[in-house]
Amino acid sequence: MIRLVALYAMAITTRVLGGIGLGFLLILWFALEWLYPIAFELTRWGATPGKRAFGLKVVMDNGLPVTPAASVIRNLLRVADFLPLLYGFAIFSMLVRRDCKRLGDIAASTLVVYQPRATHRPALVEVQAIAPVRRLAPEDQAALAALAVRAPRLTGERLDELAALAAVVSGDAGCSGPEVTRRVLGVAQWVLGRRT
Amino acid sequence: MTPLRFEQLYGQEWGELETLLDNLHGRPGRPFSSREPVSGARVAELYRRACEHLALARARAYPTYMLDRLERITADAHQVIYQDRELGLARIRTLIARGFPGAVRSHARYVAVSALTFVVPTIVIAALVYGQPDLILSVVDSDTASSFDQMYSPGTQAIGRLRDASTDWIMFGYYIRNNIGIAFQCFAGGLFAGIGTLFFLAYNGAFSGAIAGYLIARGLSHTFFPFIATHSAFELTAIVLAGAAGLRIGHALLAPGRLTRSQSLIVASRDAVTLLYGVTAMLCVAAVIEAFWSSAGWLPPAAKYVTAAVCWTAVLGYLTIQGRRAG
Repeated sequence: MIRLVALYAMAITTRVLGGIGLGFLLILWFALEWLYPIAFELTRWGATPGKRAFGLKVVMDNGLPVTPAASVIRNLLRVADFLPLLYGFAIFSMLVRRDCKRLGDIAASTLVVYQPRATHRPALVEVQAIAPVRRLAPEDQAALAALAVRAPRLTGERLDELAALAAVVSGDAGCSGPEVTRRVLGVAQWVLGRRT
Repeated sequence: MTPLRFEQLYGQEWGELETLLDNLHGRPGRPFSSREPVSGARVAELYRRACEHLALARARAYPTYMLDRLERITADAHQVIYQDRELGLARIRTLIARGFPGAVRSHARYVAVSALTFVVPTIVIAALVYGQPDLILSVVDSDTASSFDQMYSPGTQAIGRLRDASTDWIMFGYYIRNNIGIAFQCFAGGLFAGIGTLFFLAYNGAFSGAIAGYLIARGLSHTFFPFIATHSAFELTAIVLAGAAGLRIGHALLAPGRLTRSQSLIVASRDAVTLLYGVTAMLCVAAVIEAFWSSAGWLPPAAKYVTAAVCWTAVLGYLTIQGRRAG
């Protein structure tokens, strides 16, 4: 998409330049068609601007940065992926394969991965830490910790619903409401490591 | 140990690793020269520690934000520590001196098949069209045919294109886009068990054959041959080599031997990509010659034939001899 826009923009500017501009336009068309993805995948981001906008990047199967050879292979084989029309083979290949790769990625042994943006440490809700009334299995502890981390992003009603499910940890089994929620989050603080 | 305590104990190390990685990458908005030198040993040490911490944090089901952070810094450090730098002047030099011609020779069988698939249709169709010039109309329409007539007619200032079609630069851009595109298609077609490659080779061979046969039949060979002689040394060879690269991956898919088909494809592509580097370079050379030398109408044909002979000898000699001793 970005490439189309760039090409169109160039088409307008080169119209002004006439013959030599048309020559440059054709070279640029070639470069955008074949070299643009290779050039961008070899930068430190390992992705074209479009991929970057969606948090995607290209890496080798073993998690290393994509090598020039692999980038050339996967981008030249794009032609084969495009056939018979509108990336038909690529879509087919991605649907039938467990690792969801297109043909070019298979041959180049590359992966397109989602790399989430850096997340900041979430602010925890300030509540009094409470000792749990019974021993908690590791997965229960994990669930409580996750609830505490998510709490600021949930609506009050939803938070109450979720906390009611875990109410047994603070000895409030069967109850719900803001007070229960506060106590459950208190236990979560305890699990995370706060003691006051 | 509780998650908060864990973070309190080791968070500083993670922060340090993040800073070091930022320094290595060069933080956006900071000039390149202001990077501080980074101790590799320290990065490696912190990387190993972060990996341990990640394993512990996962096993103890610590909160996701902590796992996310550890996963991100270990992945970043992994990339920095284990990346191999393939690109560089030294690498390009070995590629020219040994890699590319060596790859051509080690793929000699594919090159032969590719050359035959390209040349045989060229000659057959050229002969057919020469015998019966009307046949050109089954390849191109009459307007295109007459524009070929006009392009190569002796009065033309610059042969190989219409007089009103404007400058060398347009044609340079056109050749780059068109010819390298054709070569890359010949390669990519190999992914369909080589059939795509064979089709593109034969199709392009037949097409050029038809035009050549038509122009010879029209008595224009004395402008046509000086035009194509020089750049074809690079252009035709390059297309044949791109076809050979395509056939290599096609063959790897059909007969993977003891590897799985996808492994075999990976190995074959890694081999074939060396050929493609050379092909691209050759086609760029071809485009320059085609746009600025071949089309120069004021040069006597004799000069063009001599250059052509030199170029063909150089290309074939380079591909068959260069780097043989070192290999």
